[in-house]
Amino acid sequence: MDDLRAITRDVDINATKISARRVQVHYGDTHAIKNVDVDIKERTVTAFIGPSGCGKSTFLRCINRMNDTIDICRVQGDIRIDSDDIYDRKVDPVQLRARVGMVFQKPNPFPKSIYDNVAYGPKIHGLARSKADMDEIVERSLRRGAIWDEVKDRLHAPGTGLSGGQQQRLCIARAVATDPEVLLMDEPCSALDPIATAQVEELIDTLREKYTVVIVTHSMQQAARVSQKTAFFHLGSLVEYSDTDEIFTNPKDRRTESYISGRIG
Amino acid sequence: MTDILSGSLPQTTMDKVRGSLARRHRKQFILQALGITAISLAFLMLFILFASLISTGHKAFTLTKIKLEVFIDPEEISVERLPRGNFDDVLATALAADLPSVDPNDRAAMRAVGAILSNGAQFDLRDRVVADSALIGQTINISVPVSDPYDQLYKNLIDRTMPESLRRLDDTQIGYYDKLIEIGAITSSLNTGLLTNADSRFPELAGLRGAIIGSFWALLICFLISFPVGIGAAIYLEEFAPKNKLSDFIEVNINNLAAVPSVVFGLLALAVFIGWFGMPRSAPFVGGMTLALMTMPTIIIATRAALKAVPPSIREAALGLGASKQQVVFGHVVPLAMPGILTGTIIGLAQALGETAPLLLIGMNAFITSAPATPFDSATALPTQIFIWADSPERGFVSRTSAAILVLLTFLIMMNAIAIYLRSKFERKW
Amino acid sequence: MTTLAFAILLMASLAGYALNRRAATGIRDGGARLHSVSNYHGLYALLLMLVPVIVVILIWLVLQGPVVNAMVMSALPAGTMDGLDTGQVDLILAEIRSISGGRIFGKPDPWKLAAAEHLADLRQLAALSLVLLTALLCLAIMCFARQKVTAEFRARQAVERIISGLMIFCSVVAIFTTVGIVTSLAFETYEFLRLVPLSEFLFGLNWEPQIPIRADQIAAAGAFGWIPVILGTIVITLVAIVIAVPIGLLSAIYLFEFAPKRIRAVAKPLLEILAGVPTVVYGFFAILVVAPAIRSFGASMGISVAPNTALAAGSVMGIMLVPFISSFADDALSAVPRAMRDGALALGATRAEMVLNVLFPAAIPGIVGGALLAVSRAIGETMIVVMAAGLMANLTLNPLESVTTVTVQIVTLLIGDTSFDNPKTLAAFALGMMLFLVTLVINIFALRIVRKYREAYD
Repeated sequence: MDDLRAITRDVDINATKISARRVQVHYGDTHAIKNVDVDIKERTVTAFIGPSGCGKSTFLRCINRMNDTIDICRVQGDIRIDSDDIYDRKVDPVQLRARVGMVFQKPNPFPKSIYDNVAYGPKIHGLARSKADMDEIVERSLRRGAIWDEVKDRLHAPGTGLSGGQQQRLCIARAVATDPEVLLMDEPCSALDPIATAQVEELIDTLREKYTVVIVTHSMQQAARVSQKTAFFHLGSLVEYSDTDEIFTNPKDRRTESYISGRIG
Repeated sequence: MTDILSGSLPQTTMDKVRGSLARRHRKQFILQALGITAISLAFLMLFILFASLISTGHKAFTLTKIKLEVFIDPEEISVERLPRGNFDDVLATALAADLPSVDPNDRAAMRAVGAILSNGAQFDLRDRVVADSALIGQTINISVPVSDPYDQLYKNLIDRTMPESLRRLDDTQIGYYDKLIEIGAITSSLNTGLLTNADSRFPELAGLRGAIIGSFWALLICFLISFPVGIGAAIYLEEFAPKNKLSDFIEVNINNLAAVPSVVFGLLALAVFIGWFGMPRSAPFVGGMTLALMTMPTIIIATRAALKAVPPSIREAALGLGASKQQVVFGHVVPLAMPGILTGTIIGLAQALGETAPLLLIGMNAFITSAPATPFDSATALPTQIFIWADSPERGFVSRTSAAILVLLTFLIMMNAIAIYLRSKFERKW
Repeated sequence: MTTLAFAILLMASLAGYALNRRAATGIRDGGARLHSVSNYHGLYALLLMLVPVIVVILIWLVLQGPVVNAMVMSALPAGTMDGLDTGQVDLILAEIRSISGGRIFGKPDPWKLAAAEHLADLRQLAALSLVLLTALLCLAIMCFARQKVTAEFRARQAVERIISGLMIFCSVVAIFTTVGIVTSLAFETYEFLRLVPLSEFLFGLNWEPQIPIRADQIAAAGAFGWIPVILGTIVITLVAIVIAVPIGLLSAIYLFEFAPKRIRAVAKPLLEILAGVPTVVYGFFAILVVAPAIRSFGASMGISVAPNTALAAGSVMGIMLVPFISSFADDALSAVPRAMRDGALALGATRAEMVLNVLFPAAIPGIVGGALLAVSRAIGETMIVVMAAGLMANLTLNPLESVTTVTVQIVTLLIGDTSFDNPKTLAAFALGMMLFLVTLVINIFALRIVRKYREAYD
């Protein structure tokens, strides 16, 4: 925890990576996100917390436009990454998603080999010029996913044969293989046992060196352990957003306080 | 990884991504275009199918008739020998009166004139006279059908520009026709005979009555057997059967039966029902039993799906009140599953209605000119009637076949519409 | 008379129901506690009567015809049947029957008139005994069921046992059907193989089942080598699959992933219509539209095309199979978990890449299973080929020539008059046996693939 604090202090020095203004999301008739403004800092782990159904995952999926794949979902407002409006008509979601990686709640490796799982992103985006290039990207990504040592001898075994925690780290390796700038994580540990959770949390902490990480979690302990900034969502609104220790020790809003002390949620 | 390297990497990565984007979107466009082409092709075929059926079939829904003033000559027709009267001669004479160019004493010419009328015309006249014998010696107005070639000519299906030797009607015959048109004797009316007549060798007289009744009997027998047996089997397998080798075997068996070619069921019926049990050939009863064996797997599979969709909470609630397993199933589960079961049954029966091959093998393609009175009489069914007509050489049967298909499709669409209605009306979201 | 028997049964069983129910209610009103409610006592009587008596009536009806016929024939004057084959015997029987039905043509022999009278008498007797038997059985069972009614009688359990028995019987009907198919085919095939050696049937290159006209034909009784027939079947099936699989698959992919909602709402029912069109209609479509179109196209290209090409029958069969393939592909694609789609899209895959690289490989077992079932359907499809393919066996792989198929041969050999003792009829059963075996193997294989695949994602 001491290490964590040391970094926490210089968070504000980092530039803003993602800035959202007046974001509204409708699911059919449901108003899922109401007027959210937030600035997410570069190379920081930002946690979204809140009771289930509060819209934190929905908001996360706005950042790489995954909501586009749902027919009834409408997104309004303005989200910028490095001042590029990602909902601009000229922006190609395909290109955006190469820049903003995502890891899901349940590990979802493709039913292919470990190697092919990691190589998939670079292959479709044409990032490797040769086989050797690809080998290097795969190795580098698996190392960043902190799973290289466990799988280096069986790269051609199916990814679905790994344990849950390994699968999730494989998915993280797969996500970083395209060299994204932002990494979105939607409750990445909710399907994992405590040991696997600890491994993934440790990994998240090291990812901060290179990536801007946004993580949705329902576990406040996890938010406290891995993040530097925390945003609290409630009923589709962003209630409070500040440094993690600030939120957990000295919340400004009554609702945040209630949630943290376990009265709502 | 040094800072400099990692700082410059995203730049190059995004460049690479951007570089291949156009090519990748083109690939997606090609896949979509292929998909649209494929589905359009399928629908184009569906369209051509229906368009060709309607364009050839609609002509069979009208009947070309000729209005005649007939003198019922007592010399030819007498009360004593009514059934053997020379009705065709009387009609030919009446027709010749409209055609001044024909010499009534020229037998060959008179035969040609008589051939303008359908073979059924004499029976129309006979029926009138039999109903009222006072008509003998009087002159009456009657409208009778023309024979197939003239019907074709009226419906523009005979090309007048073809060389005479290749045409079905020579120039003299066309001359007769034009004369009759000129005096306004030829009319066209709705062909109710298509549904009310039985089969005939003459296209203009052939109707579907026998086939529709035959299909009705066969379908009724099929329903009476396959519905109770299918539901019984499905309820047992889904709700009561112990999980053992036997019920697994039955299950595999049913799934395979559903995929056995229909002609094999025809062989079964021919060998067992007709060959071994000595049941009558061509009978809708045997056809219905054969169709029942084919429909049963469909009903079983649909019923099991409907039973599976009833949530276990219903069963637990009733069991908790002390009902026996059978009381739960028959009192609660089956009634809730009934819409699904009925939908599956109707769809199965619709398939059975269109099934042809097994009926051919048990002889339901016989030429039968009366409608069956009981399921044990010889009969045809709609699909086999279509097959018979499609095989007939007379041109007039082409449009009859299309019309028969349209009638069959109407029945099928009605059955499916009922099924869809049931499904949407009673569909429950648990 | 049969109707009367059924009517008696119905009345008796309803009466039995009322009687038992009344008796049970009486016991309850007398102050005793019934083990089962009175309704079950009534049902017990009803079922106990309906089930066995219906079985008896049905068996009687099935046996009556043949038994009466046999009695009539055996009572004929000695010597009339000498030296006649089955066809002629059947003819005499039919004549006797039609005489007894009142349709007399010409002047029949006196012994035929006598036999007809005998037949009518026997029929009368049989019908009368059936009615009597039914009435007696009903009465006996009614008495038996009535004396069963006591306070302790477990009527509900008894009724449930009868219903269980009925349901088990229903499930076993499926097995009976399969057994019936296998035994009838096997029996006739065995008869066939006594006339034609197995090696000639399986490996012979000539199929000419017609009665021989010239002495120099391959075999005096026609040739029965099934190779050209199965080859024709394979050619037509191949044409059908080559057309159906790409069209079906691509339309499924388009409808599943790319089509706007409105198009999907229209397209799916239209495909169902295509699937519901009876095959005899497709057959007529083939001869009315497709075959002439192919012929005139061939003529315009300067290629001579047979009037009933494998191409015409095969392509129409392909159209028939499109909805079949597309619905299997749709099922297989929708069975792939959403997480797979999301995973690929989140990596920046285009939707086409997602479909082709992730969904499609995961759905392949289901699609292959569906395609195999389509193959088995194409092999067993009858009406389209009966109407649009050829009758002559032709040893060729060229889809522009006329070929025949297994099902065409079965139908043409059996249409019209069939007696079970000539190789022509029996050959149809032998072909049916091969058809059954081939499709059975494909079906078992395909259903296993489909089922395994479904389990993998459940």
